Amino acid sequence: MLHLQSTEQLLKAIALACAALSVAIGAWYLIRRPHLHRVTKTLLLLGLGVFPLIVSLTGNIASFEYTLTRPFCGSCHVMGPYLRDAEDPKSNSLAAMHSRNHKFGENSCYTCHADYQMLGAITTKMNGMRHLFKYVTEYASTGPDGEGGPPIHLYKPFKSEACMQCHSMTAKKYLEQHADQVEQMRSGDVACIDCHNEVHPLALSRRASARREEK
Amino acid sequence: MKHRMAKQMVLFSVIGTMVAMAFMASSIIFPLPLLLVLAMSIGQGIAIFALALFLLAVALDLQSSGVSYIPADETVPETGPEAGSESPPAPPVP
Repeated sequence: MLHLQSTEQLLKAIALACAALSVAIGAWYLIRRPHLHRVTKTLLLLGLGVFPLIVSLTGNIASFEYTLTRPFCGSCHVMGPYLRDAEDPKSNSLAAMHSRNHKFGENSCYTCHADYQMLGAITTKMNGMRHLFKYVTEYASTGPDGEGGPPIHLYKPFKSEACMQCHSMTAKKYLEQHADQVEQMRSGDVACIDCHNEVHPLALSRRASARREEK
Repeated sequence: MKHRMAKQMVLFSVIGTMVAMAFMASSIIFPLPLLLVLAMSIGQGIAIFALALFLLAVALDLQSSGVSYIPADETVPETGPEAGSESPPAPPVP
């Protein structure tokens, strides 16, 4: 995790350095207005082509890495209750317990909510664009924790595949503890969170109160 | 004329690139969702357009300099009423 973060920091530093060089070359051209000689063209090719290309590549990768982290998910204020619960060391919610697990670390939101398919990362990011659109159009002017906005809900039911990335359905302990539900679980009739439903308790209670207010 | 246009295009290209770099750098320093999306879509769009403009300007500049290129060791063709007329060579003076 530390390695990943340092890579992200390195990419950001490269992107910022290249952006600064590109702007410096641009500023030099605007101030001096030199003739378009070979040297000028070469410098401009660096400033307008090579450096921006590096900024674009490294910036995209660094930004994508950052979008997987919990602080990014919590940067929309409506996610405040979810973020606070996940980061609460005393909370016993599933979100908090998984966030305390080093294998999830900062990426706990993404690990559980990303689509588990070959194109999962792409469909998840497409959903992220949808979140952003909804945020701008429906939640931007709501209260500090999104009060006054419509209740937050998942676009589709939470699938057990996300849990099964780590929790095997064939493990002996699992089979012993879930002997009655195992067939229903495998067929998809019952999901993990149907029973283990203390996922985001703070947010769920807020959602329930919001629904009551709506009625 | 083409050279002047090329300089104008380079000027716009430089300004466009600087705007795009400011956009992208700000999204790296302050990675807010909306800013990230705008920087990585509009910012990159502006940067690509600016680069295309610069390459076009270079092509125009090369083209215009190619037309006006006169090698130093070649004589400039004469202009006047006789220019271009084929006259027979003068007989040798005895």
